[in-house]
Amino acid sequence: MSASQQLTPTNPNSALKIRLAYRFLLTLNTLNAKKPPNFDHTQIHRRSHRVKIAAYASMASVVGPKRAWSRAILWKIRNRGMLARNKKRIHRISTPIRLHRHHARRRRNPNRVVHVDPFVNSGLEVKLRKLVPGAETIDPCGLLDETADYIKYLATQVEVMRNLVDLYSTI
Amino acid sequence: MSSRRSRQSLTGASKITDDQIIQLLSKLQQLVPEITNRRSNKASASKVLQDTCNYVRSLHREVDDLSDRLSQLLSTIDVDSPEASIIQSLIM
Repeated sequence: MSASQQLTPTNPNSALKIRLAYRFLLTLNTLNAKKPPNFDHTQIHRRSHRVKIAAYASMASVVGPKRAWSRAILWKIRNRGMLARNKKRIHRISTPIRLHRHHARRRRNPNRVVHVDPFVNSGLEVKLRKLVPGAETIDPCGLLDETADYIKYLATQVEVMRNLVDLYSTI
Repeated sequence: MSSRRSRQSLTGASKITDDQIIQLLSKLQQLVPEITNRRSNKASASKVLQDTCNYVRSLHREVDDLSDRLSQLLSTIDVDSPEASIIQSLIM
């Protein structure tokens, strides 16, 4: 049976894919079991939104609470009812971090010639913080690490979904 | 790496060592597919970050698009059918 062959992955990426795919299918199954499929356009739009949430939720739950981005995703999904009701109470706290960083720059040793500050253009940092979930309050070094981890899992999840779409469309 | 990070939080200032930044930037470079074939010395930090932002945005767009297609396909297929069990046995 090909299933036993697939259970022995040759590289860690395929092991990750298997875990993500399994979790995603589980979530999709529970999603489908709740409501019966129908061809109404608004229902399809709502269903695609639910599939998207399922994708992010399954990706974040595979990682668990180890990462800031997965924690942020899980928190957002669990509290999305509360978030929708209390939109005004959520405030962005990105400005104090920028001030904090300027302070650190002044204290740096002036004898050091080589400075590798990746966020010379702070517009990029703000953009990155908005894109990666849970990245608004991380120090700039941890931000790069979180981004790398997030990209890795997100790219694998996209691959899993692409394979699923191909599989479903050929059946 | 974790000891360096705890030292950072103790001092309060974000004293980022250059090695860490170079290491993380090279890690990002490996992950983002467009810039892997460029020489790491030449790629500037802002270019890497810009490409990373674009890549993350394109991944988000792809997730949206794929979930649209998946939802359309799911509405036409009964998930309890034997095909779904085949898929699940493949994954397991």
